[in-house]
Amino acid sequence: MIYLDNAATSFPKPECVLKEMYDAQKYCGANPGRGGHRLSMKAGEKVYSCREKLSKMFGCKAENVAFTNNCTTALNTAICGIVKKGDHIVISSLEHNSVLRPVHRLYEKGVITYSVARVNPLDDNETLRNFAKCVCKKTRAVVMTHVSNVFGTVLPVDKIAALCKAKGILFILDGAQSAGSHIIDMKKQGIDILCIPGHKGLLGPMGTGAMLFGEEITPEALTVGGTGSFSLSLVQPDIYPDRLESGTLNLPGIAALGKGVDYIKSFGGEKAVLRKESELTAILTEDLSVIKGVNVYGELQGGKSSNVLSFNLGEMHSEMTASLLDKYGICLRAGYHCSCLAHKTYGTQECGTVRVSVGIFNTKKDIKNLIFCINKIAKSENL
Amino acid sequence: MTYTYIKFESQTVGEKARQLLLSYGISSFLRRNPNPNRREGCNFALYVRGDAYKAFDILTKNGINNLGVETFRELI
Repeated sequence: MIYLDNAATSFPKPECVLKEMYDAQKYCGANPGRGGHRLSMKAGEKVYSCREKLSKMFGCKAENVAFTNNCTTALNTAICGIVKKGDHIVISSLEHNSVLRPVHRLYEKGVITYSVARVNPLDDNETLRNFAKCVCKKTRAVVMTHVSNVFGTVLPVDKIAALCKAKGILFILDGAQSAGSHIIDMKKQGIDILCIPGHKGLLGPMGTGAMLFGEEITPEALTVGGTGSFSLSLVQPDIYPDRLESGTLNLPGIAALGKGVDYIKSFGGEKAVLRKESELTAILTEDLSVIKGVNVYGELQGGKSSNVLSFNLGEMHSEMTASLLDKYGICLRAGYHCSCLAHKTYGTQECGTVRVSVGIFNTKKDIKNLIFCINKIAKSENL
Repeated sequence: MTYTYIKFESQTVGEKARQLLLSYGISSFLRRNPNPNRREGCNFALYVRGDAYKAFDILTKNGINNLGVETFRELI
């Protein structure tokens, strides 16, 4: 079996991640931040340890790391937690539905208006101009993906962050496909809120994610309830991360996510991860482009690289291609990848695309095997 | 027995304080506050091995918000 669906979730997980999940539940499986007994305090230390690792990795204060179930929850909290009635939001034309749907729902409820800035993968300056055109007096924030989950397009974070700073608006970055493989420094890059999954590039378990925010940002909570602090108060505490973390935290997941971060550091850090993954993606791109009838999308990005690539085999629907590849034991995702805007941008709404997303554990052999199978299918279909 | 500790609103800030004091060579441990303010409810207490007031100064200088130093006499 060859797993190439790491953009959905990374697999396999490092052994240290699996072990920590087990150990955290077995040896200190009490409720973190609640009881005063030693087991609860130990659980709380594990949660804090992961919080601190994430804060160091992404450049914010530890108390400004709020754990969530996934990146989607983080994005919903970020978007809904900062807007007021009458605000305007700008999003990119490559957004995942985890950005588009909360924004569109706020629009349907009459809370906000929004604009979609077209991304030109070959021209960052044009992308920047398109964002600038969308910004108006009422614009409260730009919400943008770092790397497209369908085409691997890398968006110009620094340029858009500078635009936001100049206009005095918030910059919210969706790091779903970049956290763990791209260096992100919120302070240096001017990112006000960063939303990340724990279970993709950071190699943690499913059910983990986080919203990280700058010191001046005070997002409202989507969920309120028990936080283990100010228990006699009728209102949600105004201290962070407590304000955003109601209910029991996912201790085994969070503790294991911390080990995922450790694993990345021991691998050589984000740069080393990206180098490996983009090398494999480059080999794939080159080999795919010489197969007759194959359309590769997103391969031309002015030297910027990621671990994601999309393709189609002739006129064959992407779902059919993926199901044929599954028969060879190759796991990858086809269809629309929860991203209707991205398919509209690249003109692939008709058949969707087959997405290959390389992970830290993939090898050249995996890529060569994939190419061999695609070749076989292309020949049998007389493409 | 009498204890002196520094109070924090949350475990997160208490842990942050503990780590910071450790970098100054000061050992401490965090627990739930055994004697919380009855109007606020739960908070956390950092028991410092050594001079709690010196630790308090370090935390204040480093911008770590806390609820002050408190002394508590255990009933048993």
